[in-house]
Amino acid sequence: MIELPRSHSPGSTPELSFKIIGLGGAGSNALDRIQLDGLDGAELIAINTDLQGLAGSVAPVKLQIGRTTTRGLGAGGDPEIGYAAAEEASEEVKGAVQGASMVFLCVGLGGGTGSGAAPLIANFARQQNAIVVAIATMPFSFEGRRRMAQAEEALASLTQQADVVICFENDRLGDAVSPRASVQEAFAAADQTISQSVRAISSILLRRGLIHIGFDELAAALRAQNPRCLFGFGEADGDNRAHTALERALRNPLMDRGRLLADAHNVLMHVAGGPSMTLNEVTLLMESFNRHISDSTRLFFSTAVDPQLDCRMTVTVLSSIGAAVPSQAFAPLQRVERVSPPAFLAPEQEFIPAQVTDRVPVSIPVAAAVTAPEVMALIEPAGVSAAPTRQAKPNGKPKPTREEKQEQMSFEPVNRGRFEKSEPTIVDGQDLDVPAFMRMNVKVK
Amino acid sequence: MSREDFIVGLEIGTSKVCAVVAEGRMDGTIKIYGVGQAPSRGVRKGEIVDFETAGKCVREALADAEEKSDVMIGSVYLAVSGGHIEGFNNRGSINIPEEREEICEEDFDEVQAAAREVSIPAPNQFLHSILQHYYVDGQDGVLNPIGMIGRVLEADFHIIHGVGNRIKNSIRCVKELDIEVEDVVFGPLASAQVVLDHNQKSLGALVIDMGAGTTGFVLYGDGGIKHSGCLAIGGDHITNDISLGLRIPMARAEKLKLEEGCVTLGRALPGERIVLKDETGFAGKEIEREMLNTIIHCRVRETFNLVKKHLDNSGAQLDFLGAGVQLTGGCSMLRGLDELAQDVFGLPVHVTCVKGTMSGPTSAFENPQYSCAIGLVKYAQAMTAGVRRPGLMRRFFKRLPFLNNLL
Repeated sequence: MIELPRSHSPGSTPELSFKIIGLGGAGSNALDRIQLDGLDGAELIAINTDLQGLAGSVAPVKLQIGRTTTRGLGAGGDPEIGYAAAEEASEEVKGAVQGASMVFLCVGLGGGTGSGAAPLIANFARQQNAIVVAIATMPFSFEGRRRMAQAEEALASLTQQADVVICFENDRLGDAVSPRASVQEAFAAADQTISQSVRAISSILLRRGLIHIGFDELAAALRAQNPRCLFGFGEADGDNRAHTALERALRNPLMDRGRLLADAHNVLMHVAGGPSMTLNEVTLLMESFNRHISDSTRLFFSTAVDPQLDCRMTVTVLSSIGAAVPSQAFAPLQRVERVSPPAFLAPEQEFIPAQVTDRVPVSIPVAAAVTAPEVMALIEPAGVSAAPTRQAKPNGKPKPTREEKQEQMSFEPVNRGRFEKSEPTIVDGQDLDVPAFMRMNVKVK
Repeated sequence: MSREDFIVGLEIGTSKVCAVVAEGRMDGTIKIYGVGQAPSRGVRKGEIVDFETAGKCVREALADAEEKSDVMIGSVYLAVSGGHIEGFNNRGSINIPEEREEICEEDFDEVQAAAREVSIPAPNQFLHSILQHYYVDGQDGVLNPIGMIGRVLEADFHIIHGVGNRIKNSIRCVKELDIEVEDVVFGPLASAQVVLDHNQKSLGALVIDMGAGTTGFVLYGDGGIKHSGCLAIGGDHITNDISLGLRIPMARAEKLKLEEGCVTLGRALPGERIVLKDETGFAGKEIEREMLNTIIHCRVRETFNLVKKHLDNSGAQLDFLGAGVQLTGGCSMLRGLDELAQDVFGLPVHVTCVKGTMSGPTSAFENPQYSCAIGLVKYAQAMTAGVRRPGLMRRFFKRLPFLNNLL
């Protein structure tokens, strides 16, 4: 394909750095998760009033705010203190975000540091000419009404300061995990959703797609009063990857299995796949997706081919519910020159933002695993030739090489007899429908 | 006699659909009027996979039962099973209001509601919540706290839950035939009602109900249920293993299992062979007896091990079971099963069928296959008896409000 060179808008720097700020305790946790998941090209900054919390963070850049206000302690749940702390450290924060074209601000609202400092830090970042995407979590309802009220207030002012606010409700995220999951797992799940959304949004905006979505469209999809974000991300490979990826995206509890989508006015959908992605797959996927949204819903669709994805497909669905506001009411940017970020975010060969590639689905359905070799064999030439020379991510799915093909062959289709088509009974990773003597390697004459 | 006095227990099993028509008498005995059954199709691993076909089988079984008992069936007690059903223990706790100290009956409902304030996976619904015992101000092992003085009332409940829609599908299968479902009961729990007597329940016993599709288990101790669960493994799996291992058709494998199969190893003479006669569509074959037994042994041992592991993980004390392990269900008729179970659990094992005071066609209940269906009748009797005379039994099996949503 011959790419048309696009001229950069005059004055804008071609540098495309984005920074992720984790603010407060919850923000730092989310940041740690992002760091662990690995996100290329992003600079991670932890900001906190609590020195101890800051020390525990794995972020490479740490910034303590409110040195005199809190003297290294937390904000004590008081947004006023959080605000004062951020005000005090204004120059340092501005310095930290300088040069970033986009700033993701991860914050848990309801507490002191997060609620108080977030709007101010969003403001500082914008003063440094960065697009600010705030990813906020609302507290669990059991944390009390006061905290919720603080969070609501903070969200309202954050909405005014940030370009885009994505708001997750912890209550809903809590439903995501199984009731037996430990508290740690439950919080980890929330952090993971935030991490996924950061990656997804950054890749949507920064990667040149076949059908591209710009910042304006992202803003439109998330524009609502008192917004509650719907976010779903799914990744799949195998025969039925388009369908499975969509299903996984909709399975996200923030979606309520896609039911909540019916209420959404604007929906943003991003489909990415390896070079083997076919138009037919995209069409089928969109057809089944359209069943979830109402006729009046505005759909922003984007698709991109990412060689790193190999034979996998990812689906990202992003929307918000809440009272929709008319377009003219949305005037978040005083700086007119910033309203057209797509041009600003012109393709940059050097910079390929990390797509959400390095998470191999933990449980590959048996059928998919069995059919994987064929699928891989089919698309291997394309996959390998198109694969970039970038090194694979450490925990990423390795390229389909000869060795792997052999390894995959060990998942030889085992005969499950009459249970072939029934729901598998899997205990401790063993498929109990496969005859016991076969699994125990007892020889039968 | 009015029709209400008849109790019908219906089990939609993986191998057969079985309906028992019986009468619960005031003295606690049961008189069986007839047992109807039909081979089951459209059920796999205890769950309906072909709704229409399963419905036909249910109709057949009910018609058979009506014919044999000469009773019009209007409503049934339905047994459900399947790998999705799980049990766990939870404690509910309430504070007795300041103005009164005495514990009264309303507190029971409240404490039960408190015990059920536990999150189960979203698609699941409560099937049973069975009282184990109460605590009054931390005092352990209170059986009936009414009239006692206390500040805090706590109660341990055993809660059994399963996927709501799957349970509903079983109910709908019956309702399609214009027959009411009085209550839904976890199959092995029903079996335990007839397999164990009161004494055995207090001594402690593990009931393992091995059917064609599922293996359910209920652990009793101190008169109450301590643990329960269900594995989606059963006799069908054994047949499937034989069929795949010896490369013979399913139907032939099933016959071979019933006629020749044995769980214990080392019983066969070295080199002893079984000759399978040729039939239409089957060329005939000679197989080694020890091989057949090995295949069955591997599967059954694994199943018992899974049950044991499940119980060990949930902290059950198997060593203190006074009444040992009671095996029931169609699969328990396999030769040598008790020996193997004894080996795995290290406890005395009995293969049992219906016990206790019953009358009627005796051939019907002298077979472990019918434990569940007859157990349903016993369960229903315990529940309805409670309506007239609220007792411990009644509170044990208090009908759950959710059932009204299901039915």
